[in-house]
Amino acid sequence: MSSHDVMPEMGLYQPVSVEDAVGLASQLAERGWLVGGGQDTYGWLKDRAKRPEVLVDLKGIESMRGVRETADGIEIGALVTLTEITRNPLITERYALLAQAAGRVASPQIRNVGTLAGNVAQDARCWYYRRGLNCYRAGGNLCYADTPEGMNREHALFNTSRCVAVSPSDTGTALVALEAQMVISSSSGERVVDAEDFFVGPNLDIRHMTVLRPGDILTAVRIPAKWANAEFYFEKVADRNVWDFALVSIAAAMRVNNGVIEDSRLVAGAVQCTPRRLTSVESAIRGKARNQETADQVASLAVQGAQPLNFNHFKMPLMENLVNRAVRGHA
Amino acid sequence: MEIIRYRHDVWGEEVILGVSWDLLWVVAVAAFLLLAAHAIFMAALAKKKARPSSEGKRINRHDAIDRAFHWIMAGSVLVLIATGISPIVGIRISWLNIHWIAGLVLTFVCVFHIIRAMFWQDFKSMLLGPADFKEPFDESIKPGKYSFEQKGMHWAMTVLVIAVIATGITLFLNINTPWWDRPSVEDEGSLGIFFLLHGTATLGLIAFTAIHIYFAVRPEKRFYTRSMVTGWISEAEMKENHDTNKWKAE
Amino acid sequence: MTYMHIGKDFTPPDIEGKVTGAARYAEDFRRDGLVFARLLTSPIPAGRVVNIDASEALAMPGVLGIFTADDLPESKPPANPALAKEFITYIGQPILAVAAESEELAEAAIERIVVEYERRPFVVDPLETLIEGGPDPYPMGNSLIRTGEAAAGTTASGTGVGQIKWTADQVASFRAGRFPTGANFPEEWMYGDVDAAFAQCSTIVEEPFVTIGYPHHSLESRTGMAYWENGKCYFHGSLQSHTVGHDALSAMLEIDPANLVFINENTGGGFGSKIFPYPTMAVTGRFARKLNRPLQLRITRAEEFYIGSARSGMQGWIKVGLRDNGRVGAVDVAIVGDAGAGGGASGSSAAEHISIMYQPENMRFRGMSLYTNTAPRGAQRGPGQNEMAAVLSPIMDKAARQAGIDLVEFRRLNAPGMEAKIGPRQGGLSSSYYPEALQMAAAEFGWEQKKALPRQISATKVRGIGVGEGYHSAGASGYDGLLRIAPDGKIYLHTGVGNLGTYSYAAVVRAAAEALQCSWENCVVVHGRTDYHLQHSTYQGGSNTMFTETRSSHVAAMDAIRKLKEIAAAQFGGAADDYSIGGERVFLTSDSSKGMTYGEAAQKAIEMGGEYSGASFPEDIHNTTKRAVQGLAGTGLIGVGKDTLPKSGTTPGFAVAMVEIELDTETGKFDILNYTGIAECGTIVHPLGLRQAMNGGGVWGFGMAGYERHVYDPQNGLPANVGLYQSKPPTYLDVPVQMNCSATDMPDPQSPVGARGIGEPAQGCAVAALMSAISDALDGHLFNRTPVTPDMIVNHIAQNGFNTGDLKTNTF
Repeated sequence: MSSHDVMPEMGLYQPVSVEDAVGLASQLAERGWLVGGGQDTYGWLKDRAKRPEVLVDLKGIESMRGVRETADGIEIGALVTLTEITRNPLITERYALLAQAAGRVASPQIRNVGTLAGNVAQDARCWYYRRGLNCYRAGGNLCYADTPEGMNREHALFNTSRCVAVSPSDTGTALVALEAQMVISSSSGERVVDAEDFFVGPNLDIRHMTVLRPGDILTAVRIPAKWANAEFYFEKVADRNVWDFALVSIAAAMRVNNGVIEDSRLVAGAVQCTPRRLTSVESAIRGKARNQETADQVASLAVQGAQPLNFNHFKMPLMENLVNRAVRGHA
Repeated sequence: MEIIRYRHDVWGEEVILGVSWDLLWVVAVAAFLLLAAHAIFMAALAKKKARPSSEGKRINRHDAIDRAFHWIMAGSVLVLIATGISPIVGIRISWLNIHWIAGLVLTFVCVFHIIRAMFWQDFKSMLLGPADFKEPFDESIKPGKYSFEQKGMHWAMTVLVIAVIATGITLFLNINTPWWDRPSVEDEGSLGIFFLLHGTATLGLIAFTAIHIYFAVRPEKRFYTRSMVTGWISEAEMKENHDTNKWKAE
Repeated sequence: MTYMHIGKDFTPPDIEGKVTGAARYAEDFRRDGLVFARLLTSPIPAGRVVNIDASEALAMPGVLGIFTADDLPESKPPANPALAKEFITYIGQPILAVAAESEELAEAAIERIVVEYERRPFVVDPLETLIEGGPDPYPMGNSLIRTGEAAAGTTASGTGVGQIKWTADQVASFRAGRFPTGANFPEEWMYGDVDAAFAQCSTIVEEPFVTIGYPHHSLESRTGMAYWENGKCYFHGSLQSHTVGHDALSAMLEIDPANLVFINENTGGGFGSKIFPYPTMAVTGRFARKLNRPLQLRITRAEEFYIGSARSGMQGWIKVGLRDNGRVGAVDVAIVGDAGAGGGASGSSAAEHISIMYQPENMRFRGMSLYTNTAPRGAQRGPGQNEMAAVLSPIMDKAARQAGIDLVEFRRLNAPGMEAKIGPRQGGLSSSYYPEALQMAAAEFGWEQKKALPRQISATKVRGIGVGEGYHSAGASGYDGLLRIAPDGKIYLHTGVGNLGTYSYAAVVRAAAEALQCSWENCVVVHGRTDYHLQHSTYQGGSNTMFTETRSSHVAAMDAIRKLKEIAAAQFGGAADDYSIGGERVFLTSDSSKGMTYGEAAQKAIEMGGEYSGASFPEDIHNTTKRAVQGLAGTGLIGVGKDTLPKSGTTPGFAVAMVEIELDTETGKFDILNYTGIAECGTIVHPLGLRQAMNGGGVWGFGMAGYERHVYDPQNGLPANVGLYQSKPPTYLDVPVQMNCSATDMPDPQSPVGARGIGEPAQGCAVAALMSAISDALDGHLFNRTPVTPDMIVNHIAQNGFNTGDLKTNTF
């Protein structure tokens, strides 16, 4: 594949209202491409691995900015940058889990322009797919990563279905843990989808990472008060501490009373195509003390059912260790 | 509208990806129009005949095991079609495992049917000979156990089902299953040809399944459908539609 | 010795531009009528071009033409062709260039060009091609053969492609960590009696090892811009050297060197990949000439991965024997080098590293350089030495532990001192204070104290400490120095050294300022354009600038001082020797009132002509320098000369590092808690520059130890980590905030200012020390492989057996 590295000729719309943007997105459908911070956009377009005809630049839509307090929690505009998330007092004080996750995305430069919506809606980072190969995810007939000698160190352990890419989103795990809701506008109106259902695996839709379809715009993310000021644990292990995607990450929210875990949400990242709820661990720790002993008892539950590929067996002990840390509450 | 979809392989060479799913809509529309035209023609123009009574002596037409085969096959084909086209039409279901399991079921029952038909059943009754082709044009000729249309439908379905099974097994070998891991694909063009054949056969199967179902629910043919459920037709139905010299009912 | 300039910090002239962003690189230059060229590159790992159909592209308005291999002189393997035709040997190899009125148009045109390829078998692991019946990366074979005189690591004439094969059993044996009995190694050297010496050794360690190559990833890609005016080619390029490549670039363009103006004030990294002109420069210059338009050939970040060169890899076996006294009695090493699609591997240099750093009493090296269908390889900081340092350090640690000797004490016992010998010829060194450096490192790091600390820091954190050593030859001679004293009193210090970003181009000319005893404020560093009249200087690479160019600067200054004195003597009478210099004046030693300023002397030199004004010049200087002097003639007092100062033995650059890490046994990640790097590079010339060299090299060493590698899918020859984020050079949160760096600061007698180079060892010592510390944290476990990534550590701790073995390379 030649490296083009310049933008192809294409149209540009810069709507200033969600209504206009939705109208454009709906009218353009597959021909259009929504751009916010652009961190997942320009690589695709410059490499010409994706070929939309028109860009719809959402950055001019003021209503998609800002963090607002609501009757039941907060609402974060889709265009809020990751840096803003790490600094917003409403988030850092009540939902530090999200702030921690956002603070571990990529690099400061990318966080300064990258948005929350972009981070959760970004496409798979499988290197074969990103190279522009016509794999399953790109509409082709095969997966290059899941082969006898495929280079799949960063790929999935669970719930693969032809495609073995993982969810690259750091904030996605935190949002699922916080039971966030995604507000999606389209020409048929607004709908609200649980973060857990927002992400879709290849078994359901091999071409998309989320429920978003052409014409849909993720306008905001709502976080309910349920987990506000809970005990949180976030950790992302990547080769590099800056500008890298997770090898495995863990986001946990817990309600702990007198040292006993009353309720929890544990979500692992980069182990399957969507953030992975660890429901068996959640059940196992309910009513147990939050300590090392409990962690040692339940950590192995997290990797039950894992189906490692050639080079990603390490994700099993790594995931187990991170779950152990999340449950005991410290590194 | 494209007929065949092409893509670049891993080294940038253009290879066949498969049949164009635009054709799915063509097939759907064509089948609908054809069947609607037939329905209108039958309703408006075709001679109305009194239907033979289903009362009286019952003639065994299909053994229980064959009826079971038919319905398992029908179910698996419908499941295969539904699961196969769901991602194409944008329905999000976890289709792949259901699809290959249904495919395996279809394969097993077809193998069973072929063996049974060849060694335990009156295989000749389904053979389509030159004489059969006169049947549609001469009302005086009545068929044996199976009419020309039934034999035609059977053999068309036979070819299509064998085609989807043969190509489907090849594709099955290229996904992860409980028994093997998917291999590396050395020749993406060949894989694409199998997808093309599988897709093309599927389109044919969809068309013929639609036709089959249509006739199965047509009033004048419904007793055949009943026989596929209960096993029998009445003697009157038999005599009205079949030549008892050719079909020696038990 | 007290110096005016040497050992003092100063502000190199390019600093301000780099801080403000005003510094311009090749890609920043524009010219009226500029057209933009882009490359079409190979999608296949091996094969040939059957046909190119560019008709549709050429019919596009604004598309000016294409440039293919047919527009260039024929190139024979293993030379790395600027554009491939008959021998495509890696994905990403340039096939043709398209020029258009804009970059966008050029890219649109590329998409409309249809190239028909014929594919050939390919291979991405040297051991796969080595095995009988295995695929060859070239149709004619898999290995570099030398058919005449050619430098290692180059693709100059004198090399060819041959075939080497081993039996399946031999390859299997090698993969299993044993020496492959009876296997053919085309390269071999030995001193002493290795087999007999092993019999005398009480400690024997035998280990396999793999080092994976990785790209240079120069931040500034190798974009070039060229235009032709009045028969001259003006070339804005990106080289780490300057004048030393002038003749080679002229040859690429088939023009007289006098007709080439090479312009390159700043270079954004080269790391060895831009020491000499590289193939795409031929496309830039020739395509511009073909179109008769100024032309920029921009190389993208991804293209830089493919054509920007890469470190060679090694798959090897080593046997080390220690005698009772802790001395290394024997070393036997065999190395299969991964030379990628072109270039040469560095096995012999790797072995040389062992020979100098541990001074084995007997040693044998056997090696070969094999091609693979991966990106071409070339010199990258300390080629051979540094990757060997990486895997050698933990292996030597194992030997020391087996023998019951402290790791630092073991190195002290075997350290190269003044009497050290190196390599197969066992030649001597110009000097070595390495034992002192080791002692200094141990003291500054606190080796003994850290050794006494508990290994287990907490339930999940373990401490590791390590020591490592870096070496590279660090100096040459025979280059020219040039300076001009202008009538206004300014001293123009010319240098043809490239500006790689190390500031050494400016530091070296301070040797001339030192000799002339002039203020730095009055000096102007002249560099960056050959039409500024730059002399033949050494290449900027191989740790050699500091030694080599302080010598030539000194020579030019000495020539200028002689002339100053002779001019003064001519003016005031007496002999030249009766005169001294000081305060930018030349004066009668016995009566300082009789004298003149440098500016007055320069005016006098112009009047006197001859050698004083540059009208004549020494015969032994390089043609490039002759042209430079001719260009300057009549504008001042010219100081010029070739460095013929005494030089013998190898000039070494050494560094030793010590590292303390905290390794997380649950994540496989580690933090570097402490880093101490001590340079042994003679006298310190530029303290900030040295610190930068040590820190930068150190960071890169951490990259080699824990992050960077080539990964290729053996099924299709695709590289997995083309981009910077995929290649993962370490970031600022992966390295310690504070790195403690200092130097022995003891003079080398063969340098007039006592200086030697340090570039390469700065990386080698860091990677070696970090590898040693990782091993230490894991109870001496040897991964025998670089890099060691978190997955490997997690797998090791989990004891799940999933770490890559069998000497596999270019893989995870």
